[in-house]
Amino acid sequence: MEAAALPIHDHHGPPPANQSARVQPQVLGMLLFIISEVMVFGAFFTAYFFIRVVTGDSWPGEGDHLPKAIAGVNTAILLSSSLTMHWTVEATIKGNRAGMKAGIVTTFLLGVTFLFIQINEYVHVGFAPSDSAQASVFYGLTGLHGAHVFVGLLLLLFVLIRVFRGHFSPQAHRGLEVPGIYWHFVDVMWVIVYVTVYLL
Amino acid sequence: MAADTATSPALEPVPQITAHEVTRERSGIIDWLTTTDHKKIGILYLVTTFVFFLIGGVEALMMRLQLGTAENTLLDPSTFNALFTMHGTTMIFLFVVPIMAGFGNYFVPLMIGARDMAFPRLNALSYWLLLSGGVVFYASLFFSPPEAGWTMYTPLSNETFSEGGGVDAWIFLVHLTGLSSLVGAVNFYVTIANMRAPGMGWGRLPLFVWTILVYAILLILALPVIAGAVTLLLTDRHFGTHFYDPTEGGSPLLWQHLFWFFGHPEVYIMVLPAFGIISEVLPVFARKPIFGYKAIAASSVVIAFLGLLVWAHHMFTTPSPTVVLVFFMMSSFLIGIPTGIKIFNWVATLWRGTIEFKTPLIFAAGFISQFTIGGITGIIVAIFPVDWQLHDTYFVVAHFHYTLMGGAVFAVFAGIYYWFPKITGRMMNEKLGMWSFALMYIGFNLTFLIQHTIGLDGMPRRVYEYPDVGNLVLYNRISTIGAFVLGLGILLTVINILRSVKRGPVAGPDPWKANTLEWFSTSPPPDNNFDVIPRVRSVEPMKDIRRQIAYQTGTGSEAPPAAESLVRG
Repeated sequence: MEAAALPIHDHHGPPPANQSARVQPQVLGMLLFIISEVMVFGAFFTAYFFIRVVTGDSWPGEGDHLPKAIAGVNTAILLSSSLTMHWTVEATIKGNRAGMKAGIVTTFLLGVTFLFIQINEYVHVGFAPSDSAQASVFYGLTGLHGAHVFVGLLLLLFVLIRVFRGHFSPQAHRGLEVPGIYWHFVDVMWVIVYVTVYLL
Repeated sequence: MAADTATSPALEPVPQITAHEVTRERSGIIDWLTTTDHKKIGILYLVTTFVFFLIGGVEALMMRLQLGTAENTLLDPSTFNALFTMHGTTMIFLFVVPIMAGFGNYFVPLMIGARDMAFPRLNALSYWLLLSGGVVFYASLFFSPPEAGWTMYTPLSNETFSEGGGVDAWIFLVHLTGLSSLVGAVNFYVTIANMRAPGMGWGRLPLFVWTILVYAILLILALPVIAGAVTLLLTDRHFGTHFYDPTEGGSPLLWQHLFWFFGHPEVYIMVLPAFGIISEVLPVFARKPIFGYKAIAASSVVIAFLGLLVWAHHMFTTPSPTVVLVFFMMSSFLIGIPTGIKIFNWVATLWRGTIEFKTPLIFAAGFISQFTIGGITGIIVAIFPVDWQLHDTYFVVAHFHYTLMGGAVFAVFAGIYYWFPKITGRMMNEKLGMWSFALMYIGFNLTFLIQHTIGLDGMPRRVYEYPDVGNLVLYNRISTIGAFVLGLGILLTVINILRSVKRGPVAGPDPWKANTLEWFSTSPPPDNNFDVIPRVRSVEPMKDIRRQIAYQTGTGSEAPPAAESLVRG
């Protein structure tokens, strides 16, 4: 009886370190990283502010038109991918593997669709980054965001592979949760980019 | 798996032998290249950044040689431009900021009673990114070193006026070292938040750890902005965008705002950990608790907050509305208050202490005197009408060298002399240390005090020659002689380090009878840092431990620990 109570893998080496905060290190690290990402976007938004407010130029550049409606549809696509990401995490917590697989595949495909439509928009928008400062800022802000979508998709790809290899359980799913936080950040940031660049 | 077998009623307990995989011991060089141990990474940081410090110092001496006499032709203008650009960039991005990360890497986990950083592999990544940044930057020596100053103002740094790859090498340096510091900062924050010893609340955190925490927060907030700004510069230079090009609707002022939004917090990023080192050294050698622990910790946070709101005092000569100038002047004045709080608390720590005049303390005292001068001239140039006169003169050069060289670098030396026994297990030579300090102190003040006068006489900075008018030649010659005395002083410490690593007397775990937990471990500490992590009961846990030992072994004359003193925070 007593032998059974002993842990099979006897703990060697020093005892585990003291945990002095309730938040998990990985989650805290991701949140801090997101703060730094917000500041990167801040630098690009400052460029936007300088050209639109301080210099007072027309927006968009003269003769240019931004496809508000298509970008609006694209916004809806990206926001729904946030919902499916949330669904994936919920399904994982409930132990619903089918839901988890469906959720992560949908999220990934929605993200790819967003990026595809974005590139398509670049092809058809009718001006190049070198045309004017306004064009530079348009490509700068949407391009910076696009790069973040790309990084987010890479993270999701790893999650997707791990899901199909049978990783993650209701108890252990941090590897899914932390990329999810990043994905939500990318989506929220898009709403701000969309509102300032296309709508205002 | 373990849980399954233990709870399953069908399985009888079976005697088992569990063998653990033993990691093969790696040979020396591979071990250093692949290490994720915070102490080894800390040493890599300290050595690398110190080498960059020496390189930057040689660049400074070359500039002083050129300026030793009027209308000198020793160096041509573009070499001189490259020298001051590389000197500034090296000292800031490759020396002061990362050497603080080096001290932080080595000592934050030890001081808070942790066994490593929160993310050991990210920690290794952060060191290797730093080294690659330095290598990429110095590689530009072989094609065309940048010549636009460490501030890289546009349009001077754009593709028209800075051809060649020098500016691009600088941009990649900022990207790489920036990423390195950012990853390091996240690591520091999480380590400090998550891995403190039992009983170490925020009110018992060592003051150096407090400043590293604030350093991390400032890095997270400021560095991404310059990363964004240099990315825009890169696309302007190579992909035809117009962010900084006024002819197409862009704005050169945008660069200055983004640069200084990073650049001013950067000043506090460099000097706050120096404050932390001083706050650790003074109470140990004054044999007295630090005066005003809470005020010193809180003032670091206040300085960081205000430091984010003063950036445009670097831009008083740009066309900005007067109300903006007044705002930035007032906010800059405000920083004098928390800084003054620190200085008075340090002086009060020394006041009526039983001072042991060891090298770390002497360097700390040098820091206080010189940093105070730098702080006061800072208030002078924060007055914008005065700044209109002094902007871009040697007065400004003198001012920031008093804060960075006289301040941060002297604190780094205090830290080196203080922590060397812990890192290597050996003491440094006191006599050589004193000589090094004396030469550095005299040399530093000889070099930079006179530069205030040079600046008031109107000599602009960043010029490679000057005419023989007034006393300029005399002043500049004094400054040049001082620079070489300073260099000699630094050389003595280098010799001291090299000698003591092998031949210094063995230090033992706690040669200074210090206050913080790193001295609880052996010198140098073992891989796991501590076998037992003590419960922390005050801001000076080692004092409690020493008293406890004296009480339990019946040695020492100290009274048994009062129950109340162990409980109090």
